[in-house]
Amino acid sequence: MDLGIPPDVPFIILATVTIVGAILALQAKELIYGAISLAISFIGIAGFFVFLDAPYLAMLQIAVYVGAVVVLILFTIMLVRREVVEETTEHEEGGESSMGLWIAGLLAVSIAGVAALAGPNLPQTVQPANLPISELGPVLAISYPVPLIILALLLSAALLGALVLAKLERGQ
Amino acid sequence: MVALSSYIIVSAALLGIGIYGLTVKKNAMRLLFAIEIIVNAANLNFAAFTRYMSPPQVSGQVIVFYSIAAAAMEAAVGLALILVAFRLNGSIDVRKLNKLKG
Repeated sequence: MDLGIPPDVPFIILATVTIVGAILALQAKELIYGAISLAISFIGIAGFFVFLDAPYLAMLQIAVYVGAVVVLILFTIMLVRREVVEETTEHEEGGESSMGLWIAGLLAVSIAGVAALAGPNLPQTVQPANLPISELGPVLAISYPVPLIILALLLSAALLGALVLAKLERGQ
Repeated sequence: MVALSSYIIVSAALLGIGIYGLTVKKNAMRLLFAIEIIVNAANLNFAAFTRYMSPPQVSGQVIVFYSIAAAAMEAAVGLALILVAFRLNGSIDVRKLNKLKG
C-alpha cells in the first residue's frame, strides 16, 4: 500500500488501538463495555490483515468476530442478570493479580525480546505480493481438504452441542 | 513496509494480555474474552509469517481461516456452557464453580 505517509504511522496507530482495546476488554468496569472494547480490538486485527495483503481474512474477521462472536457475547451478557455479572468482576486478590501480571509480562517480554534480537535476521521487506482471493480456494480445497471436512463436522457438532446445552433444564 | 518483528511484538503483547486475563480474572465471561485475544494473537502471527515468506504464500491465510471458524464455535459452546452454569449455580464466578472438587 502506498499512502504517501510513512508506513510506520498507521501500523503504530493500529497496534495502539488493538492493544488498548484488548487491555480495556479485560479491565473495563462493566462487562458490556469490555465486550465493545473487544470488538474494537478485533477491528484493529482486521486492519493488520489489510496491511498484510489479506483482505479476505479482514472481511472474515469482521464478519465472524465482530459480527457474530461479539454480538453473541453481548446477547449473553444481557441474558445473564446484570448484578450477577457485575458483582463477580472486580475483586481479585492482590497476590494472584500480581503473580498473573508477572507470568504474562515475563512471557510477552521474552517473546518480544527474542523477536527484537532476531529482528535483523528476519525478513525486513516483503516482495510485492499478487495473491488474489481466488488463489485461496484451490489451497483450501486441494491442499487441505481433510481439515476442511473435519471443520465442517466440528461446526455442526458444536452448533448442536450449544443448542442442547442451552435447552438443558435445571435438574436434568 | 513494516518489519516482521513488529508484528511479532504486537502479537506477543496480545498473548501477554490474554494470559494475564486467564490467570487473574474470576468472571467466566472475561476468561472467554482472554481466550479470544490469545487466538487473535496467533492468527496475526500466521498472517504475518505467511506474508513475509518469499515468495508470499496463502497457506497461512488458510490456517487463519480454519482458526477463525474454530474460535467462533468455541465461543458459541463456551457461552452456552456459561449460560448453563449460571442457570444451575446462579453465578458465573469461577471460584464458585467448584462442585467437582468434592
